[in-house]
Amino acid sequence: MIELLLLFLLVPLVVTFVAPLLPPRAASYLTALAFAVPFFGVLYLLFGGVTADVTLMRFPAPVGRLYVFSDAITAVFSLSICAVSAMVALYAIPYMEHRFKEMGLDPRKEFRKYIFIYDLYAVSMLWIVHSGNLLLLYVFLEIMLITAFLLIYLYGYGNRQWVGLLYFIWCLIAGVLTLVGFLVIASESGTLALDELMHLHKISTVAWAFIFFGMVIELPGLGPHIWLPWAHAEAPTPVSALLSPLTVGLAGYVMLRISLVDPSFFVVYRTPIFAYAALTSIYAGFAVFMQKDFKRLLAYSTISQMGYILIALCVGGVFGTMGVAIQYMSHAFGKSILFMCAGGLIALYGLRDVERMGGLHDYVPELSNAAVIGFMNLAGILTVGMLGELFILRGAVEAFGLNLAYILPIVFIFILSGWYGFYTIRKVFYGRPRSELKSKSISGYLYVPLFVIGVLSVLFLFPPLSSSLVGNLYECVRYLIGGGAL
Amino acid sequence: MCACVLPTFVTELTLAALVILTLGAAFSYKWRGVGFASAVIALILGLLAAKSDAYGVLVFAVALINLISLVALDNRIKGVDYCLVGLMGLATLTVFTVQSLSLVLAALVLVSVPTYVLVMLREGGANTEIGLKYIVFMVFATVLFFIGAVMLAAGGDPVLGYVLLILGLSLEVGVAPLHEWVPDVFAAADPIPISVIASLAKIVPFVAALRIITSFSFDERLVLFTAALAAFSMFAGNIGALTAREHARVLAYSTVANMGYVLACVACGAACGAAATPAGGVGGASGSELALALVGGLLLLFANSFGKIGFFNAIKGEGSFSPFMFILAFSFIGVPPLLGFWGKFYILLSLVGVGYLWLAAVLVLNSAISIPYYVRLARELGVGWRLRLTDVVVFIVTMFTLATVALPLVEWLVKSMGVLSLGVM
Repeated sequence: MIELLLLFLLVPLVVTFVAPLLPPRAASYLTALAFAVPFFGVLYLLFGGVTADVTLMRFPAPVGRLYVFSDAITAVFSLSICAVSAMVALYAIPYMEHRFKEMGLDPRKEFRKYIFIYDLYAVSMLWIVHSGNLLLLYVFLEIMLITAFLLIYLYGYGNRQWVGLLYFIWCLIAGVLTLVGFLVIASESGTLALDELMHLHKISTVAWAFIFFGMVIELPGLGPHIWLPWAHAEAPTPVSALLSPLTVGLAGYVMLRISLVDPSFFVVYRTPIFAYAALTSIYAGFAVFMQKDFKRLLAYSTISQMGYILIALCVGGVFGTMGVAIQYMSHAFGKSILFMCAGGLIALYGLRDVERMGGLHDYVPELSNAAVIGFMNLAGILTVGMLGELFILRGAVEAFGLNLAYILPIVFIFILSGWYGFYTIRKVFYGRPRSELKSKSISGYLYVPLFVIGVLSVLFLFPPLSSSLVGNLYECVRYLIGGGAL
Repeated sequence: MCACVLPTFVTELTLAALVILTLGAAFSYKWRGVGFASAVIALILGLLAAKSDAYGVLVFAVALINLISLVALDNRIKGVDYCLVGLMGLATLTVFTVQSLSLVLAALVLVSVPTYVLVMLREGGANTEIGLKYIVFMVFATVLFFIGAVMLAAGGDPVLGYVLLILGLSLEVGVAPLHEWVPDVFAAADPIPISVIASLAKIVPFVAALRIITSFSFDERLVLFTAALAAFSMFAGNIGALTAREHARVLAYSTVANMGYVLACVACGAACGAAATPAGGVGGASGSELALALVGGLLLLFANSFGKIGFFNAIKGEGSFSPFMFILAFSFIGVPPLLGFWGKFYILLSLVGVGYLWLAAVLVLNSAISIPYYVRLARELGVGWRLRLTDVVVFIVTMFTLATVALPLVEWLVKSMGVLSLGVM
């Protein structure tokens, strides 16, 4: 059982090196299959309520044991990463071919390079959430950064090299600040192994401060967010469809793991962090209305959604923690669908400007319907997003009581997400067409993966998936931090 | 292998290596291959005498790659140049083996003096002008270093002794603000000998300084002075590299920045001081911040060596395979799990351990500042796949840079180098 976890994690890693040897279509299918293995594997562990832990090696002090593990929290993150990475790999078949031709590159030759970097990028995210040692986690955090940078640098839009560097510099600062925080932990606790840290239950304020400020850049919060709209908008769409839904939220995962060791930082600074998170969410939510570029619009929506995660983190407790995990999943599903919709419009019509869109439902109903499901996830309507919002609100009530100064902003943020979601749907897909467009036949790869993710997002709202997910998550979090009752 | 297997033969091995090098240099005037062969044999003997397996293997690798890259440079003393590099490698291999101050200083001279000749090498002549400039700076640096070391050992003014030693070290390796010679020499000399100066020649000065410094206890203000110098060098190097256009100049300023990172280890060594070494002066630093600093400094020096050899060979060959260039650039930036990351990781760990969080933050900031110029360097020097001698050298150093992807190897490096003796008698 335990070795199975390592096997699940190794399959996509091995495929990373095999896929470039195959033709584009076969490589993409193999990648999708490779991520299906850990998806079903983790689901199997989740249904069985099994916590796995595999030692890789022991490092000299103060690094400690390097191991991979799986519990219900990692399962939520892992399932999201596997599902989205597998579907985006299929989606990339026609999209990247279109992009390579647009750039004057040989599609067959270039796809080998692309699929290797893409696989390594997705694998690094998977390994981040299963890393049981902060050093191992950091190593994969930086591999994730470098591979995403390369994809933007090589295949992005606009001034891609400048945007790539912008992304690289900001995220490296974020990563290395976090590393300094980890090193302070190592110096104070004599280990970076999460299980040993869980026994010690002590993270100093200095370590927390480094980690918090590093991860707030990565998340990002208001202020350091300036890199995100550029990077997410100018990246090639399959990369945007991982960057925005999966990558940034992992900053929340890192903070979540640290807060499970010692939540004191969020407890002491709960009110200012809450205010900052709410401000981030509201500012970015309103900024969505100002955007002309569809991908930029989605990027601002990501910042707003990351505000949710920060709120859930500072709320803490059993329900706040559950809220972080499920919010990550719902955002991952929703935002990947939306970015792939935006990419579909680029591939079909070369359109990014929302002012030139409108009435597109008549031409591409597949993308229009998928976008509706995407925004339903963000707004928490009839998808797993509902559970995310429910737990965040429940956590807030437990942390703050029925204090309207806290509860009302959260409710307003939830409403804001629905508001800008349906504003975007109306502006892009409904009403009278603003451009002279024609109906085009659309490749199945450009919309089927979106619906697969959409169906998953609905399935996770209903039993048996939701009951297994929520039940195990609740038990796991309660075990880790203690207290609370469903 | 090494000293643990043949402890009593260390002196004999070293002497035999010196004899072979001398004979090799003499005969290489007639048969050039003899110089190369004698250098390799001397390095193998030096490897057997090395005190740490990991350290020995890495120094051996750097020296051997330097030898191979020298094949690309047809010069007037062909054959002798191999022996000079062999001598440098031998001194570097044995710097941890010797225990007395005089022999540590002798190792420094044996590494420094051959570079006086190497820097002048070029095809069809000699760079005498740049050689003179370099020699003047190096002689001055060595004298400062020696006076500082002797003052400390003789019980003179510890502040003056320490400052002179650090200034000598700074001038020798190119720590700002004593780095003026570095961009000029790096830009004017042939890239191949510069790749030797930027790699193999940087190790012994730091090891010697660290070994001497850890034999004594110092005032906190001196630690702060070293830390400030390290921080200044990081900024000066990285800002210089950002604004430089010529590839060799960018690499020169990159060296200044990297020497700042390694000087941070010396600051850590000064902070730990003699507390880390037992009475008698010589002892393992295992488990302490000093051990972490030593491991970090050495790993960074090796990462710097492989990176500099790769980039200078790319300059010599007018470009090299693009992915290799990017891997070397990422290693310099400190992206895990490449070799450069582990150097920075252990340096940061030691700085945090001794409470120099601000210097750790400066190092972090400088890693970010360095991104644009390393990426630019990789982009401009990156070309398609081809196979010349310089490309082979780039391939080899890239493999060494990538080797730390295997984490058990990192564990071995850390364990093996973490027990190296510091302090001198």
